[in-house]
Amino acid sequence: MTHTFYDEMYLANGECRSHYREFTRWLADTPSDLLAQRRREADLLFHRAGITFTLYGDDQGTERLIPFDIIPRSIPASEWRIVERGCIQRVQALNLFLTDIYHDQRILKAGIIPPEQVLANEGYQLAMQGLDLHRNIYSHISGVDLVRDGDGSYYVLEDNLRTPSGVSYMLEDRKMMMRLFPELFAAQRVAPINHYPDMLLDTLKSSSPMENPTVVVLTPGRFNSAYFEHAFLAREMGVELVQGADLFVRDDKVYMRTTAGAKPVDVIYRRLDDAFLDPLAFNPDSMLGVPGLLASYRSGNVVLANAVGTGVADDKSIYPYVDEMIRFYLAEEPILKNVPTWQCRKPKDLSHVLANLPDLVVKETQGSGGYGMLVGPASTKAQIEEFRARLIARPEAYIAQPTLSLSTCPTFVENGIAPRHIDLRPFVLSGRETRLVPGGLTRVALREGSLVVNSSQGGGTKDTWIVGD
Amino acid sequence: MRLSISHDTTYQYDEQVRSSIQYLRITPQQSERQQVINWELNLPRPVRAQRDPYGNILHVLTVDVPHDNIVIGAHGQVDIDENCEFEHESQSALPFLRVTRLTEPSQALREFASIQCKTRRDRTAMIDLMQALNAHIRYEKGVTSTETSAADAFAAGRGVCQDHTHAFLACARSLGVPSRYVSGYLYTDDSDHLASHAWAEAWLDDAWYSFDITNNLTLPERHLKLAVGLDYLDACPVRGMRRGGGGEQMHAHVDVSSMFMVQAQ
Amino acid sequence: MLSTTASNLYWMSRYLERAENLARMLEVSYSLSLMPQDDHGNGLDELAMPLIITGTLDEYLEQHGEMHAERMLNFFGLDANNPASIYCCLQAARTNAHAVRGRITADMWENINASWLEVRDIAQQGIARYGISHFCEWVKERSHLFRGATFGTIMRGEAYRFIRLGTFIERADNTLRLLDARYELLGEDIDEIEGRSARSYYQWTALLRALSSFEAFAEIYRGSPGARKVSELLLLRTEVPRSLRSCTEELYSMLTSLPGDNGRPAQRLAAELEARLRYTTIDEVLDEGLHTWLNDLILLIRELGQAIHSSYLEVA
Repeated sequence: MTHTFYDEMYLANGECRSHYREFTRWLADTPSDLLAQRRREADLLFHRAGITFTLYGDDQGTERLIPFDIIPRSIPASEWRIVERGCIQRVQALNLFLTDIYHDQRILKAGIIPPEQVLANEGYQLAMQGLDLHRNIYSHISGVDLVRDGDGSYYVLEDNLRTPSGVSYMLEDRKMMMRLFPELFAAQRVAPINHYPDMLLDTLKSSSPMENPTVVVLTPGRFNSAYFEHAFLAREMGVELVQGADLFVRDDKVYMRTTAGAKPVDVIYRRLDDAFLDPLAFNPDSMLGVPGLLASYRSGNVVLANAVGTGVADDKSIYPYVDEMIRFYLAEEPILKNVPTWQCRKPKDLSHVLANLPDLVVKETQGSGGYGMLVGPASTKAQIEEFRARLIARPEAYIAQPTLSLSTCPTFVENGIAPRHIDLRPFVLSGRETRLVPGGLTRVALREGSLVVNSSQGGGTKDTWIVGD
Repeated sequence: MRLSISHDTTYQYDEQVRSSIQYLRITPQQSERQQVINWELNLPRPVRAQRDPYGNILHVLTVDVPHDNIVIGAHGQVDIDENCEFEHESQSALPFLRVTRLTEPSQALREFASIQCKTRRDRTAMIDLMQALNAHIRYEKGVTSTETSAADAFAAGRGVCQDHTHAFLACARSLGVPSRYVSGYLYTDDSDHLASHAWAEAWLDDAWYSFDITNNLTLPERHLKLAVGLDYLDACPVRGMRRGGGGEQMHAHVDVSSMFMVQAQ
Repeated sequence: MLSTTASNLYWMSRYLERAENLARMLEVSYSLSLMPQDDHGNGLDELAMPLIITGTLDEYLEQHGEMHAERMLNFFGLDANNPASIYCCLQAARTNAHAVRGRITADMWENINASWLEVRDIAQQGIARYGISHFCEWVKERSHLFRGATFGTIMRGEAYRFIRLGTFIERADNTLRLLDARYELLGEDIDEIEGRSARSYYQWTALLRALSSFEAFAEIYRGSPGARKVSELLLLRTEVPRSLRSCTEELYSMLTSLPGDNGRPAQRLAAELEARLRYTTIDEVLDEGLHTWLNDLILLIRELGQAIHSSYLEVA
C-alpha cells in the first residue's frame, strides 16, 4: 500500500476523470454565490426537517446536523458492478458462516478458524445454537464499509451486520441534491436509489414464512443517535415505529398495544443491540426491550432482523477470516480485498504491532464508532505509549492494520474547495435474493488530513452517484 | 438417593399487578446423574415447556389479567446417582469461557487463580482453587445480593453460594477452563432439609465436573440440578417482570424427603 | 394505531391548543391592564389573572417575591422552568410531535419544529423586547398555521381523530375556565353581569375577543354583551367554533368514528355530554348558578379526558 492518495475526481496529471466531466463543467459554470446560497439552503432544509443525530456522551442529548457536502461522490457504473458483486459475495458468505457456526460448525471442524475464536466470542449467542431461521438469513441488512487505497482499489474495512445505520442520510442526501440542483440530474443519468425503503420492506416481509406479516421497526427511542433514521424508515415503509413498551409477549407471541387492542407482530426490524432485546434473557437493566421476546423468538413466533448473534461475524477478530469464508462456502475467490490484519492475540503479530505502532491503525475487536482506536501516524508519542500499555495488558482485545491512504474527493471547506478523505457504505439486503440499490452512504472526514469519517468524530456526508462510464 | 420434593412459592403483591411475565427454570432434566421419576408444575395457567439457550427446561408464564398474587408449585421425585462424578455433553464447552458482568475477573481474582493453579489446568488444580475460595470468601448471608459481582464479593471476603460460584467461574475462565453456573436444590441434614443452592461445573477431560465451593464438595451426591448458564442470571430458577404491584412478599413452602434407593439385585 | 402514538398525537395538539389559549388569555389581560383601572391603578391585578387561572401565581410569588409586570409576563410566557408557560407548552408539543414524526406530515412537523426553534430565539430576547401583543399574535399565528397544515395535509384517519380529540378537550376546558374567571370577577354586581357598566363592557368584550367570538356575538345578538348572552354564545351555540357545545359535538363525532369497542366508556361519556348541552337552555344554566354549572362541566370534561386516556392512550 502506498501513501499517495487516490483522488476520485482528478487524474495525477490534473485532468478530470471522465465520469466527473459533466459535473466539473457544471461546477465551473455555476456562480460561486449561487452555490453558497444553495449550501445555506441545504443547511436550512436539513435543520427544518430535523435530520439530525444525537451525540453519545453529550448530557444534553443535543441534536446536531451531519454536515452535508454538495459535491457528489461519483462512481462509474462499470466500477460499481464490481463493488456490487463483491458486497453480495461477502454478505452471502457471512450469512452462510453464521448458519454454519450456529449449526454444524463445519468451518471450525475444518480447522479454518480456531473454534475458541468463534465460540468464546462475546458476539456468539448460545441462544442461536440449533435454531433454524427462515431462508437461513441472519444479517438481513448489512452495511459494508469500503475505502480505496492509493491505487484506487477497494478494500473492505468492516462488515456491519448488527444494526448498520446511515441509510437515511443516503436517501435524504439524494433528495436534497435533486431539490437543489435538478439541472444536474437532467444532464446526466444517475442511477436511482429512492426505492430502497420498498426493497427493505420486501426483504423484511420475506424474512417471515407468513404470507403477509406485520412488520414493525423497534427503536431504543428518541434519545438514540439514529432515532431520526428509525422514524424515517418506518414512515417510508408505512409500518409502525415502536419502542419496547409498545410491545408485549403473551403465551410466546408478540403483540403491540394499539388503540383497538392487542395486535400480533410478526417481523421486528430492531435497531436495538442484542443485549437490550429482552431484560429477562440478557441485560436485566434494559428498559428498552421486551420481556419474553427471546423465548418468543426461539419458539419461531416472531422474526428479528437482523437475527440475534450476528455480532460474532463482524467482530474484528473474525474479520481476517472472511476471505477464507468466501473460499470455503462459495468456492469463489474474494472480489473485494480485505485489509491485511495483525491479530494481537498472536504473539508474533503482537510483537510486529508493538514494533510498528507509529505506522499502524489499532482497533478494539469489539469497538465501533471510531472511539477505541489509535491512528498511529496521526497520534502523539504519549497517545502511542498509552495504547502500547493497553495492548500489552489485553492483546486479545486488539487488531492492527496498516494505515490506509483513504481516497479523497473535492469538498467544500471554509476557504473554497479542497480534497478530503472519504469512505463508502453500501447497504446490502438479504431476503429472497441478496441485492443492493446502486450507491451507498459516502462519509467524508471534514478535518484536513483526518481519516476518521464517523459522524460522531466530525464527519460529513455526500450524495453518492453511480453514473455512466 | 431418591428425593421427593414439594416446593410452593407464593408471591404476594401490595397492589394489583396489571401484567407479569416470568422465565421459570424449575424443572430438572434427565441425565446420567439424575433420573426424573415424575415432576409437575402447578402454575396459575397452563404453559408449554421449551428449551432455553443453555438447554434448560424453560416455562414462560405470562399473566395479563390483574392479580395480586402468584403461586408457583413444583412437585416430583428424582433419583440421584451419588457416585456419578461427571457428566458428558455433546455441545462445545467453549462458550463457557465468556466473561459476563457478574463473572468478570478483577486483577485480584486473576492473581488469586494463577497463584492457586500456576500452570496446572486439571481437576486437582480446580479442587485447590475451590478450597482456596471457600477459605477466602466466608459464608455469610445478607451482605451480598443477586447483583453482586464476583470481584466485589471476593474483595469483601464474604458471601453466599452464588458469590462462591461466581468467583470460581471468574477464576477458572481466566485460566482458560470453561466453566458454568448451576442452580438447583441441595438436600441437607438440618431441619429444612432442602435449600435452593448454586454450584459450579468445570469442563475437564471432555466432561463437566462439579465443584460445590460453599461446601467444599466435588461429588454432588445430594445435589439436584435444575439449570445451567454463564452466571446466576442465566440459570436462576425464576426471573420475572411485572407492571404495577408495588412491594412484594415472597413465601416459600418446601417439603422434602429422601430415601436411599433399594437396589434391585 | 399504537397507543403511544395516539397519546403523542393527542398531547401534541393539546399542548399546542393550550399554548394558543394561554396566549389568548395573556392578550386579554394585557389589553385590560392598559385600560384605566378603577381602584388600583397599575393593572398588576389584571396581569396576575392568567397566573390565577392557570394556578401558577403561588409558584410565581415563591420565585419572584412580588408582582412585577415584566417578570409576570416572562414567567407566564417564556419561562423554561415554568412547566405551564407558553414556552414549555410549545416545547412539549414539539417533543410529542418529534416522537410521532413518522405519523404526521412533513408540513406539520416542519411547522411545529420551526415554531419551537423560533420561540427559543424569542426567549433569548425576552418578552418585553419582542413585544407582548406581538408575541401573543405570533403564538396564535403559529397555531393557526399548524392547524392549517394539519387540515390541509393529513389523512382523515385515526391520527387526525386523536389530534382533534386533543384540541377539543383542551379547548372545552379553556372556554369553561375563561368564562368562569371573568364571571367571578364581575359576579357580585348584577349591573355588571347585565353589562350596564363600562367596566363590564370591556371585560365581556375582551373575553369575546380572546375567544375570537366578538364578531359572532355582534352578528347574533347585536347589543352590548352581558353574562346571559355571552354565556349562551360560549356554552350552547353551535355556530362558534370555540364554544363548549362545538367542542363536545366534535368530541362526540370523533369518538364515535374511532374503530374498536374498547372505547365505549369514553364514547358513552361524550354522548351524554353532547345530549346534555343539546337539550339545555341558558335559563336552566343560570338557574343552577353559572359558577356551579361551569365547575360541574369542568369536572365532566376532565372525566372524559381520563376516559379517553384509559380507553385508548394508556399503554395497558
